[in-house]
Amino acid sequence: MKERIGVYICHCGGNISDYVDVKQISELVKEEKGVIISKDVMFACADSNQVDMINDIKENKLDSIVVASCSPKLHLHTFRNVAERAGINQYNYVQVNIREQCSWPHSDKPKEATVKAIGLIRAGINRVAFSESLEDIEIKTQKAVIVIGAGVAGMKAAIELSRTGNDVYLIEKDYFVGGRVASSNKVFMSDQNGKDIVAQLYKEIKKQNNITLFTATEIEKVSGSLGNFNVDIKITARYIAQNYDTALLQAAIEECNIFVPDEFNYGFSERKAIYKNYPEALPDVPVVDIKAIKKDLGFTEKYSKCFNLTQESQLLSLQAGAIIVTTGFDNYQPKEGEYEYKNIANIITLPELKRLIELNNGKLIFKNKAINKVTFIYCVGSCQTEGENKYCSRFCCTAAIHTSLQLKEKYKDIKAMHLYREIRTYGKQEILYEKSSKQGDIYIKFDEATPPLIEQKENNLLVKVKDILTNNIELELETDLVVLVTGMIPRANSLETGKKLKIPTGTDRFYNEIHPKLKPVETVIKGVYIGGACQGPKNITESVQSSLSAAAKVNALIKSGSIMLEPIIARINHDSCLWCGKCEEVCEYDALKQSEINGKMVAVVNKASCTGCGICAPVCPSDSIELIQYTNNEIEAMINGFTKKIELKEQEEVEAVLEEKTAIGMKEFPDIWKKIAASITEEAKTIPQISKELGVKNDVITYNIMTMNKYSIVDAEGIDDMDEYYFYKLKN
Amino acid sequence: MAKTKLNFAEELKKYGAEDFEACYNCGNCSAICNLTNKDDSFPRELIRFSVLGLKQELKGSIKPWLCYYCGECSTKCPRQAFPGELMMAIRRWQISTYDWTGLSGILYKKTFAYIIAFILTIAMVLGISEYLNLTHEKIMHYGHLFEMFAIGGVFTFILLPNIIRMWYWSIYKHNIKFNFMHYFKALGELFTHMFTQKRTLSCEDTQENKIWWFEHMILVLGYLALLFTTVFLDWFGSKNMIVVYFGYIVSAVVFIVTFDFVIRRIRKSSEKTTFTHPSDWFFVIWLFLMGISAFVVRLFIDLNLLENSFFIYYFHLIVLVQWAIIIVPFGKWSHFLYRSFAMYFDKILKIK
Ligand SMILES: Cc1cc2nc3c(=O)[nH]c(=O)nc-3n(C[C@H](O)[C@H](O)[C@H](O)COP(=O)(O)OP(=O)(O)OC[C@H]3O[C@@H](n4cnc5c(N)ncnc54)[C@H](O)[C@@H]3O)c2cc1C
Ligand code: SF4
Ligand code: SF4
Ligand code: SF4
Ligand code: SF4
Repeated sequence: MKERIGVYICHCGGNISDYVDVKQISELVKEEKGVIISKDVMFACADSNQVDMINDIKENKLDSIVVASCSPKLHLHTFRNVAERAGINQYNYVQVNIREQCSWPHSDKPKEATVKAIGLIRAGINRVAFSESLEDIEIKTQKAVIVIGAGVAGMKAAIELSRTGNDVYLIEKDYFVGGRVASSNKVFMSDQNGKDIVAQLYKEIKKQNNITLFTATEIEKVSGSLGNFNVDIKITARYIAQNYDTALLQAAIEECNIFVPDEFNYGFSERKAIYKNYPEALPDVPVVDIKAIKKDLGFTEKYSKCFNLTQESQLLSLQAGAIIVTTGFDNYQPKEGEYEYKNIANIITLPELKRLIELNNGKLIFKNKAINKVTFIYCVGSCQTEGENKYCSRFCCTAAIHTSLQLKEKYKDIKAMHLYREIRTYGKQEILYEKSSKQGDIYIKFDEATPPLIEQKENNLLVKVKDILTNNIELELETDLVVLVTGMIPRANSLETGKKLKIPTGTDRFYNEIHPKLKPVETVIKGVYIGGACQGPKNITESVQSSLSAAAKVNALIKSGSIMLEPIIARINHDSCLWCGKCEEVCEYDALKQSEINGKMVAVVNKASCTGCGICAPVCPSDSIELIQYTNNEIEAMINGFTKKIELKEQEEVEAVLEEKTAIGMKEFPDIWKKIAASITEEAKTIPQISKELGVKNDVITYNIMTMNKYSIVDAEGIDDMDEYYFYKLKN
Repeated sequence: MAKTKLNFAEELKKYGAEDFEACYNCGNCSAICNLTNKDDSFPRELIRFSVLGLKQELKGSIKPWLCYYCGECSTKCPRQAFPGELMMAIRRWQISTYDWTGLSGILYKKTFAYIIAFILTIAMVLGISEYLNLTHEKIMHYGHLFEMFAIGGVFTFILLPNIIRMWYWSIYKHNIKFNFMHYFKALGELFTHMFTQKRTLSCEDTQENKIWWFEHMILVLGYLALLFTTVFLDWFGSKNMIVVYFGYIVSAVVFIVTFDFVIRRIRKSSEKTTFTHPSDWFFVIWLFLMGISAFVVRLFIDLNLLENSFFIYYFHLIVLVQWAIIIVPFGKWSHFLYRSFAMYFDKILKIK
């Protein structure tokens, strides 16, 4: 129990005291139990007052303080500092908000505002009486980061983290790096080839000596928490001998004549049983298709030195301070019969077309037929009002248009028709849209309710569509190839991976950030971040932007080797806990775990991951959980304080001030106001500027400017470059 | 079910259309156009027909003729698709579809064809007079006769059938029942528009536009009067001073106004003169030459100089023949006639 409490009630230069009778309150609370001193002050935050408070605390041997002023968002740390400087624990300080919660919202009812303020201040006094002295929690962190997924997003994040001096484990599930970008040929907006972008990033990764790349690797199990994650990984075999002879392997590849359909090219071509996704794929080590190669035992025998066909998967355990998830997306796969996909030949998806372009030089050939007319159908698997994927996939309009430009560039005589619902080529991508229509691509807009119909007509396809842009006229388009512009969906195994990491997914089934604007790359699990398209549809630029911001966040977090956390977390009374597991079930942050203490099974809080949300406390049947700083004692005491009866004197002064406010004129200005007014008539200035010019102390100017502002004599005009001080100007 | 023709845009570009495929259907052009309304929405709708190659729809539409090419839409188009110029090109294309001889299309698409046609007419005039070994008197007499027959012939054998074809696609094909009273009532429209072009005035309310309209009307009247004086009053042969002076005045009106039009096209003073198709040049220049050569011929007659400078009359005659058998039936002159009929047909369609 704290028994020597100091209370400071702030005028906020009139912001509070014009409506709330601070003088009377300060008199009233003197009578509260434990209150040694109670003062009303013009600006509690002013330097001079801070010094006064420190002196008061020392002189009167105060053990706790309450400041009734503005929102703790503004000054909590200011007064915690004051407490520390005066030699008391910072958590023995309570801030009561009587500006945002009393004077401002209830300016029309000053009396009631005062009553509410007294209640809140009494609650604060009672709370501080029960406050505990606490220490911040220090978490030692590993200076290593695990990045899951080596697409552009993951590779970029890994490079950034390594450059800022962290060890990085980059984990890729495929045999080769690059993700989806590796399979796109030219990409917007830079027109670079996807392969080249990947190669460039790979080179960068190899240059950094603190990035360890694991390909053909998946995470098995994740444990630990912020600062100390433990991740078990499994590396799948490549079946290539450890110290193979490059020339011999090359000879083996050349001689190999076991062919299977190439999944990387959607079966449009074949690959050998020793293969790479594409010739330049990285890392530059081929993979053995173990099933296929066994078809020719003579061959494996001949080159047995190159292979290790009995190689097994390898298990490893990695430690890291934080994790970034960049597992990307899957392409939407049209359902069977959706737009006649797979029912009629010559209907493919955009990713398939991308591969087809890569494979065909000179002329675009599909199923032995030259393609001259291509019809794109947009929003396949996206923007479904009724279906699962309500979201827009963002990249596909631009990707389809960009591909259409590429078609024209590579094959000249191709006519493209675009059947769209909405063209979303935002930002600079609009230029591509303009270019495409100028080159003669035809754009036809259809309604979701009447999607285009595709029919086979002799050798050709016939697409029937109602064009919204031409009085809903029904058009018949002859075409050689229909391209379904498919959107992005979450990775097939995203739920599974998400479960291992305990990160939640949204209704769109992509990984969820905490807040789309304010915490865009943070997940509810401390230390686990997301970036790139695993979070929702993104193009390359956007994917890299988000993964880099995750990298920057992680670097700031673990760089110093330790993290300080506020001790406001759940606390379990291990004597009464019965380990029923209810708290573990509700905790969203995975902070509660079963553990044995003194031979008894109880719940234990992980200090690093508990956020102090408090959701566990009410579910505990034995009432064994307390939230520090919100203990039952504190809450009950606050309620008692707030509900205590209040006797008020009439407030004549307040009414008088309100009247005065409308009547004030230049004549009645105090001298200092006239000086300030003269200084800011021509040009807006900040408080320090005015103070320097007039040779008057900062806090005096602050007080007077605030008051002048309140009486609408001056106006704030923007903030200075450092975001520190407002500019003020005289109102005309 | 509408049939699309994918490379139709290329075809229209040969008729002078510019970059209209750039259109992204914002509809600014239709919003800004003073002549479009709820029932007649253009130019955006026609841009769609053109982009999609809906030839049938385009052929039977009267809307292109409702545009008087103020060019306002082109200046406001955010994609520089030049909708106004497209409307002009569509009209040229429509004329070539109305024209049963197919010559309009060839001439519009190939300037070279124009030049060959001009050269052939020169050869024809000179050849005939040489072959028949005609005296100057006879030449002038036949010249006069030619004018009379040319008017009748061109109208009966070319323009009239073409107007019937235009009627067939824009009215008959739309399954409009024939009603004599409607055709009769709408007749007023035909003549008002033919002589006044009054729709121009609803276009833009600018001084420049008004001046243009006024000049244009004076030119139409001057041209018709010149035609009347030379053909029916036999200006070159007349001794009547009133006829002679009247002829001077109207021919002067023709060449002065056309001179101004040529200057405007050279200066590209407004949106409507930004793009000039060869057929536009031929039209203004030949009209100018007609006016000025007629004026000089009559002047030489009055000053008794013609006998020694007979080439002047040859020149006039050649211009006249080129005008009458090339520009009038197949060139820009015919716009004047089709437009008047379009207004007439439009009225018929709208009488309910
Ligand atoms: C047809 C098409 C054309 C496109 N064209 C363009 C374009 O021109 N311009 C543009 O800006 N954008 C384009 N995009 C979008 C672009 O592909 C994406 O923005 C980009 O791929 C996102 O990168 P990423 O790293 O987030 O994801 P991905 O590229 O999907 O990479 C994710 C990586 O993580 C790996 N991975 C997944 N799960 C796991 C796991 N559990 N464990 C380990 N590793 C895992 C994957 O194997 C992959 O390598 C196009 C997309 C498509 C489909
Ligand atoms: S980007 Fe375009 S094609 Fe893709 S979902 Fe959005 S609107 Fe549809
Ligand atoms: S809910 Fe309460 S009793 Fe149950 S495990 Fe958690 S702390 Fe223990
Ligand atoms: S203003 Fe231009 S872009 Fe807009 S509809 Fe008209 S022509 Fe098309
Ligand atoms: S040129 Fe003038 S009249 Fe013709 S469509 Fe454009 S705005 Fe309308």
